[in-house]
Amino acid sequence: MAASRGAVVLKTVKKIIVQFCPFESNVRSTREFLIMVGSEKARATNMNCEVFTEVKHDRSEPTVDITFVDGERLMMKGSKLTTQEMLSALQTRCSAKDPQAKAGDKK
Amino acid sequence: MAATLCGRLFPKSGWLPLTQSVRHGSKAVTRHRKPVHFLKQKMMAVTEYIPPIPAAPPGALAPRVRKTEEESALAVLLRKDLETLFKECKMIAVVQNNAINAEDLMVLRHKLKRHNISVKFFPNQVTRSFLSNSIYSNMLPLFVGQTVIIVSKEPKVKEMLQVLKHSPQMVLLGACIENTLLSYQGILNYSKLPSMITIQGELVSGLTMMTSRTVSMLRHHPVHLSALLQQYVKQQDPGDSTNVVTDKDTSTIQETAA
Repeated sequence: MAASRGAVVLKTVKKIIVQFCPFESNVRSTREFLIMVGSEKARATNMNCEVFTEVKHDRSEPTVDITFVDGERLMMKGSKLTTQEMLSALQTRCSAKDPQAKAGDKK
Repeated sequence: MAATLCGRLFPKSGWLPLTQSVRHGSKAVTRHRKPVHFLKQKMMAVTEYIPPIPAAPPGALAPRVRKTEEESALAVLLRKDLETLFKECKMIAVVQNNAINAEDLMVLRHKLKRHNISVKFFPNQVTRSFLSNSIYSNMLPLFVGQTVIIVSKEPKVKEMLQVLKHSPQMVLLGACIENTLLSYQGILNYSKLPSMITIQGELVSGLTMMTSRTVSMLRHHPVHLSALLQQYVKQQDPGDSTNVVTDKDTSTIQETAA
């Protein structure tokens, strides 16, 4: 169940904070998202990106808070989202910010 | 021939002509395909063979019973291992690892070994099947994704927390310490608890504080009196200072009155 495009590219991401409560039943997708984002490949794309995890026990929803390099923030509430959806949302935003640099390189 | 046919075809009045009269009908056996007589056609249409609807194949009716695969021997072994672990070890912590390096893992293991804490990997399926049958079924939701179990016989939480602080990829999810399920905050609070001896001492001192206070209050008067009398005796011996004596008397009288 890897991401559709292989590894996640985190070049434009500054910080990722993942909060969840492991005793809830709706955290599976958030946890898998965390594994995908925290994997070696993903971290290798950007060594400056920090991934923080907070484990809570207050029955709150699992949330993913991503801060991009240009200051934009993406909040995802993962209780009803699948891992794929979260990854694709992140990737579209990353590639939207990135192609300005990539297109410049290609050309 | 056609006229005779038509005559037979209209026995009752009011019947519509059923067939067209043929001028020269062909014989029964012809070289070309002879058009079937309409009556015969109708008869054949009515008596067409309707095959019986085949009953659903036996496979479709009965619910597909998934063959309960016999657990592989390895799974049985791992299960037994888990059972012994849970029985022996007082502290079992569940940690999620986000792709820890092999070298980091080795360093972590080494640091934990010093305190007799071991790191174990088990496949989630085996763990889940084991937990669902045991009393620890509330730990089931913890075992999702890549998990590592950290076990130790003594609940050495502080050391474990310190070691895990150094590796940010290992996320502590929960722990079962002395058969009580604890969350992350619970683990932190547990680590801050003082040792058993201090707690017992505190408890004992708290309980006896009341009684000791009562005792001291009851004894307060005679103790004070005896102390004063002793001092009086001491002062009587060296010299006769009547002022001091009268002061002493008045002060004792005041105390006993109060």
